[in-house]
Amino acid sequence: MGKSTSQKIKVGVFVVIGTILLVATLYFIGNKQHLFTRNIEIYATFANVNGLTLGNNVRYSGINVGTVSKIDMVDEGTITIQMVVEEKTSRFIKKDAIASIGSDGLVGSMVVNIIPGKSQDAKPVIAGDTIQSYSRIGADDMLSTLNTTNENAALLTSDLLKITNKILEGKGTLGALVSDTLLAKDIRQVVVELKKTTLGTSAAITNINAIISKINYDESAAAVLLSDTVSANQIKNVFANLEKSSKDINEVTKNIDEYIQEIKSGKGTLNYVLQDKDLVKNIDSSMINIKEATQKLNENMEALKHNFLFRGYFNKLERQERKEAKEK
Amino acid sequence: MNKADSILSQTKSFFAEIGDMTFFAGRFFKEASSSPFEFKELLRQCYNMGNRSLLLVSVTGFILGLVFTLQSRPTLMQFGAQSWMASMVSLSIVREIGPVIIALICAGRIGSGIGAELGSMRVTEQIDAMEVSGTNPFKYLVVTRIMATTLMLPLLIIMGDAIALFGSALIENLKGDVSYLLYFNQVFEALKFSDIVPATIKSVFFGFAIGLVGCYKGYYCSKGTVGVGEASNSAVVYISMLLFVIDFIAVFVTDIFI
Repeated sequence: MGKSTSQKIKVGVFVVIGTILLVATLYFIGNKQHLFTRNIEIYATFANVNGLTLGNNVRYSGINVGTVSKIDMVDEGTITIQMVVEEKTSRFIKKDAIASIGSDGLVGSMVVNIIPGKSQDAKPVIAGDTIQSYSRIGADDMLSTLNTTNENAALLTSDLLKITNKILEGKGTLGALVSDTLLAKDIRQVVVELKKTTLGTSAAITNINAIISKINYDESAAAVLLSDTVSANQIKNVFANLEKSSKDINEVTKNIDEYIQEIKSGKGTLNYVLQDKDLVKNIDSSMINIKEATQKLNENMEALKHNFLFRGYFNKLERQERKEAKEK
Repeated sequence: MNKADSILSQTKSFFAEIGDMTFFAGRFFKEASSSPFEFKELLRQCYNMGNRSLLLVSVTGFILGLVFTLQSRPTLMQFGAQSWMASMVSLSIVREIGPVIIALICAGRIGSGIGAELGSMRVTEQIDAMEVSGTNPFKYLVVTRIMATTLMLPLLIIMGDAIALFGSALIENLKGDVSYLLYFNQVFEALKFSDIVPATIKSVFFGFAIGLVGCYKGYYCSKGTVGVGEASNSAVVYISMLLFVIDFIAVFVTDIFI
C-alpha cells in the first residue's frame, strides 16, 4: 500500500480524536439546545418546584420557548428558577405573565408553563425580569382532597341506603307515598278534582279575557279608569278635595244650626232686632225725621246758591259744564 | 516493562489499524469516483447481499416486532395505555431497534461473508492473480461490495421495520382485538418524516461500515487458513462496535436537528 506504519498510526489517532471531539461537541450542543439562538434569562420564584430539573422545557402558550437553566434555593420555602428563553419569542411574553409548574402528560417530566397575562398594554419582559408565579396544587394535595371527598361520599351513600331501606319498608311519608295503595287512590282522586278545578279556572280566565278584550282601551271611560294613571291621580285628588269639602260643609251646617238654635232661644243682637217692636217704631220715626231734615237741607242749599258770596262759584261750575257738553 | 511494551504496541497497532482503515476508505472513494464502473458485479453483489439476506431479515424483524410487543404489553396494560402500543412500538422500531438489530444481523451475515470471501481470495492469491492480469481487484472486489452494502442495507432495514410492525400488529390483533387497519392507522399517525429520514440516513452509514470493515479485513487478511477465520471474526467484531459508535453519533445529531 505504500503507507508507513507511523503514517497509519497518526491517521488512526487523528480519526479517533476527531470522533471523540465530534461526539463531545454534539453532546454539548444537544445539552444546551438553544446554543445557536439569542437567549435571555428570566426568573420566577416558587415555594415548591415539584421535581423540576435543569433542562426541563419552558412553554409559553404551549410552545417550547426555552429551558430551565438554574434552580436556586434562596431561603426556606423560596426557590428561584432561571429560565433561558429565546429572544425572538420573549417579546411576546409580557411582564404580567404568570409561570406555573406542570407535568408534561400523566407520567411525563415537569415543564414550566408561562401563561399570558390579562393586561393588553403590559410591556414585554427583558433579561433579568422576575415574572409572577402560581403554585398549582400538587398531585398529593389532589389525592388527599379526593380521599376526603371519597369518605364523605361513603357516608352519604350509607345514609342514602338507610333512607331507601326505610322507603322500601313503607316507613315515613316517602315510604307511605311509595307503598300505600289507599294513599295512591286518594292522590289520584285529588288529581282528578284538581283537574276539574283547573278546567273551571281555565274557563273563568277565558271569560275574564273576553271581558278585558271587549274594553276599548283607547276611548272608553273604563279604559281610562283602568289604564290612565294621570286621571287616576286626578280622581284621587278630587275625592280627597270632596272629602275635605264635605267636612267643611258639615262644619258650616253645624254652625248654622247653632245660630238657629240661638235665634230660637231669643239670644243675640239679630234676635233682639227681630223681636223688639219699640225699636222698630223708633227706627220708623227716625227715618221720617231724616227725610224732613233732607228736604230742609235742600231748601237751604238752593238759598245758598243765590247768596252773593257763593254765586260766583256756582256760575263757574255751570260754565264748565256747558263747555264740556259742547266739546262732546 | 514487558507488559507496558505490549500495551504500547497494542495501542499502536489499534491506531495503525484505524489509520489504515481510513486510508482504505479514502481509496474506496477515489476508486469509486473514477471509471470504469463494475455495474454487473455491483448488481450481482446487490442481489447476493440484498435478496439473499431478505429471509433472514424478515424472520428476525417479524420475531423482533412480535417479542417486543408481547414484552411491552403487560407494562402498558398496567397504565391502561394499550392504545399507545402502536405508536410506541413503531417509534422505537423505526428509530432505533430496527436499524441496529438488522444492521447487526447483516454484520453477522454480510460482514463476515465479505471478510471470509475476500480473505480466502487473498489466501489463495486470487487477488494477486487479478493484479497481475491487469484487473483492478480493489475496484472489482471492494468498491462493488461496499457500494452494494451501502445501497442494500437501508432497503433491508426498511423491509425489516415493516415486517416487525406487521409482527407487532399480529400480536395486537390476537391479544388486544385491535384491527390491522386501526393498528397501521395509529402507526402512521405516530410516525413522522423526522423519524424515518434520520433512521434511513443512519442505515446508509451502517451499510457503508459493514462493507468497509468486511472488505478491509478480508482484503488485508494474513496468510493461511487461520487468517481467513480471523478476518471473518474480527470483521464482525469491528463492525458491531462501529455500528454502535455510528448509532451513538447519529442519535446526538438527530437530537440537535430534530
